[in-house]
Amino acid sequence: MKINILGAATTRFGELWETSPRALAREAMSHALKNADLKPQQVDALFVGNMLAGILGNQGNLGSFFAEELGVSVPAFHIEGACASGGLALHNAINSILAGQHKTVMVLGIEKMTDFNQEDITSGLMAAGSDEERQAGATFAGIYALMAQAYMQQYNVSEELLSSVAVKNHYHGSLNTKAQFQNIITIADVMKSTRIADPLKLLDCSPISDGASAVIISSENIGDVSNPVSITASEVATDTLALYQRESFATLSAVTRAASKAYSKANITPSDIDVAEIHDCFSIAEVIATEDLRFSKRGEGAKDIAEGKYTLGKGKIITNPSGGLKACGHPVGATGIKQIVEITEQLRGQAGSRQVKGARIGLTHNVGGSGAVAVIHILQT
Amino acid sequence: MKITPVKLWRRQKHVASLIGKTGTLLQWTVIRVPAKTFVKEAPYPVAIVKMDNNEKMIGQLVDWQLSDLEKGKKVIAVLRKFTPEDAESVIAYTIKFKPHENY
Repeated sequence: MKINILGAATTRFGELWETSPRALAREAMSHALKNADLKPQQVDALFVGNMLAGILGNQGNLGSFFAEELGVSVPAFHIEGACASGGLALHNAINSILAGQHKTVMVLGIEKMTDFNQEDITSGLMAAGSDEERQAGATFAGIYALMAQAYMQQYNVSEELLSSVAVKNHYHGSLNTKAQFQNIITIADVMKSTRIADPLKLLDCSPISDGASAVIISSENIGDVSNPVSITASEVATDTLALYQRESFATLSAVTRAASKAYSKANITPSDIDVAEIHDCFSIAEVIATEDLRFSKRGEGAKDIAEGKYTLGKGKIITNPSGGLKACGHPVGATGIKQIVEITEQLRGQAGSRQVKGARIGLTHNVGGSGAVAVIHILQT
Repeated sequence: MKITPVKLWRRQKHVASLIGKTGTLLQWTVIRVPAKTFVKEAPYPVAIVKMDNNEKMIGQLVDWQLSDLEKGKKVIAVLRKFTPEDAESVIAYTIKFKPHENY
């Protein structure tokens, strides 16, 4: 069965203090419907990806909460998998279609983070970690910093080389009017930014953001079908909740396993990919991802990024044309769906000044926790 | 993070069984922007420790100096307070790691 993307839309990401979660959801879903040329009554079910509404906002029952905003009383579900909540919601929406339960499904990814202070957010995000990590006083920046230390030692890579991830993604973000940050930065800017968890500095870290993204998928060809994009693989893998229990700290096994299955399901190889949205929650995450996805050889991800192999106008596989989590922003539950929206626009040739020329095959890489869950999607024209 | 008396009671035997165990530093970072509970302690190192029985643990480093942050540094598990700043709460204890000189 073919899973088509009928509509895709995202709000602007950023510090949206004047916008409520309901308003964010309404904007993303109504624009996705308009994009698909569909009416709310044509949607059979709603899947919502969100991590923090229950933890920070004391708001549960999100399926019904957001179905109310969609304006239809359809079956609605909340899926949580930390920062991979969006990707997991899409995976489950696809499964519901494959199971024959629904034909056309709306998937909403949403997060409202800037209503809360930084310490509350840092603690809230640690709900995705293990009890031992929380008792140790680890933060997510701290856990990715442990990966960065391990990676830098194993492959003799410098902090400057890691910085090139943020430089590339800010350049891409500067071409995206929906991005939280649209300014160009230099390696020197990253190097002199505030230290968060050694060796990671402020500009190695994705920001705290608000935003919502929505896609409508279907087994049918309805609405506007002039520019078809379909999902040819949706794979999930999990690993231990905590990093310290793993054999290696310089790779995420859940990513390598989910990606292998996805490549084989879509019957493609990594070099067939034209454009990818990567979960660069911290600079080290994109470096490791380029290797786990088999775009770069082990130990060469940072060098390849610094040399422009993944930069618009220079590279063959373009990573994070949206600006990634670093520059586009990271409203955690929305990120996995925003990645799908970006790749859809790229494959439709509608990405404007950040268009990857001739893009036909795209990939999204959405990770929850410190690699405890990974969701890989492959999209094709 | 919610600390409930029942959770502490359930955990205390395990925590007590780890006191005095030794291991070596595998990987570490210095946390400078902490979660809420640890604001007063920052900056502090968090390390992955390989215990002598080959199990891995994660823990905060205490009584440390910069020169202690090196791969293979011997550490010993000690009992330390871990509690939110709330006078009404039960005081919780956890395992932290201290550089081990008599090794």
